[in-house]
Amino acid sequence: MNCKKTEKRILRSLDGRLDGRSAGLLLKHLEACPSCRKAETEYRSMLALLRDGKDAAPLPRFWERLEPRLREGREIAPFLFWEKWNLRAIPAFLAIVAVAGAALIFTPQASELTASEALLLENRSPLTETQAIFDAEKPETRNMMLIFASLEEKTSARRPTP
Amino acid sequence: MEDRQLVRLAQEGSPTAFEELVAKYQSKVFSMALSFTRNREAADDLAQEVFLKAYLALPRFHGKSEFGTWLYRISINHIKDYLRKKGRAKEVSLDDVQEIAFSDKEQTERTEQERETEARRTLVQRFVQGLPEKYRVIVTLRDIQGLAYEQISQALHLSPGTVDSRLHRARRMLRKKLAPYLLREGGANEL
Repeated sequence: MNCKKTEKRILRSLDGRLDGRSAGLLLKHLEACPSCRKAETEYRSMLALLRDGKDAAPLPRFWERLEPRLREGREIAPFLFWEKWNLRAIPAFLAIVAVAGAALIFTPQASELTASEALLLENRSPLTETQAIFDAEKPETRNMMLIFASLEEKTSARRPTP
Repeated sequence: MEDRQLVRLAQEGSPTAFEELVAKYQSKVFSMALSFTRNREAADDLAQEVFLKAYLALPRFHGKSEFGTWLYRISINHIKDYLRKKGRAKEVSLDDVQEIAFSDKEQTERTEQERETEARRTLVQRFVQGLPEKYRVIVTLRDIQGLAYEQISQALHLSPGTVDSRLHRARRMLRKKLAPYLLREGGANEL
């Protein structure tokens, strides 16, 4: 093990992050290398100094001074407190929209009927009107009826369209 | 009560739950601010602002990381912003670093030993302040605040490998500067 690797291992060891095998190799190297031993002592002492300080206490009445600021902040941005609930409401809203959409898609729609379909639905024959013409005894009368029928306004109910 | 429960209660609007969270973390946030600003009033102001930010952002905290890590992230960003505004984001020279200002009353209340400890700590932190920002943040979080590597990695959005290498470099730089003051084989050098 060289001295550069040893320095890394010293720091890992001081952090408690060195596995047993590497720790053994480190100890062996430190026994044989005075400069790495010195480095180890210096690092140990430096970290102790850095970690020496306990958490410093803030100025007195920290919470008492903070609370009015929180209240003020909450008044300025009250909607933020509902944001969490709004986010939870989004999936519920989407589910409702999906259900409503599915209901609209799968509900059978009343379609427009053709004239002949309407007549058939009313249990009437589409040939009923023309039957009277064919039933006329006199050929003149029949001809006249055919002429008048042809002059009549075309209605969808008269004849089924093919 | 655990942080998770306190956070849930605070999110539901309980001021006492948030007060408990503040009581638990106020010293850590204050210490972190102090280690960057070296001024108790400024650090106190920053700590108050950090908690205000955290309080307003609490509805957006979904518990993906621990509350402490999330709070450290807010603290770091806020302190960095403050330093940037103050024009101190660049490397700070040792001469620029101020002593921690204590009031006369605070000064008399402190024992001799406390003063000595504080003097040592101040000296070490002066050297920490002299590090470039990216190294100073890592050393502060790991070696002064005692955060775990994983917490630092999450708080700074850095890979564990980057945290490891930056910390290694930062410690090497510090050792170089501190060498004349460091202990030798069990004895203390004069600070």
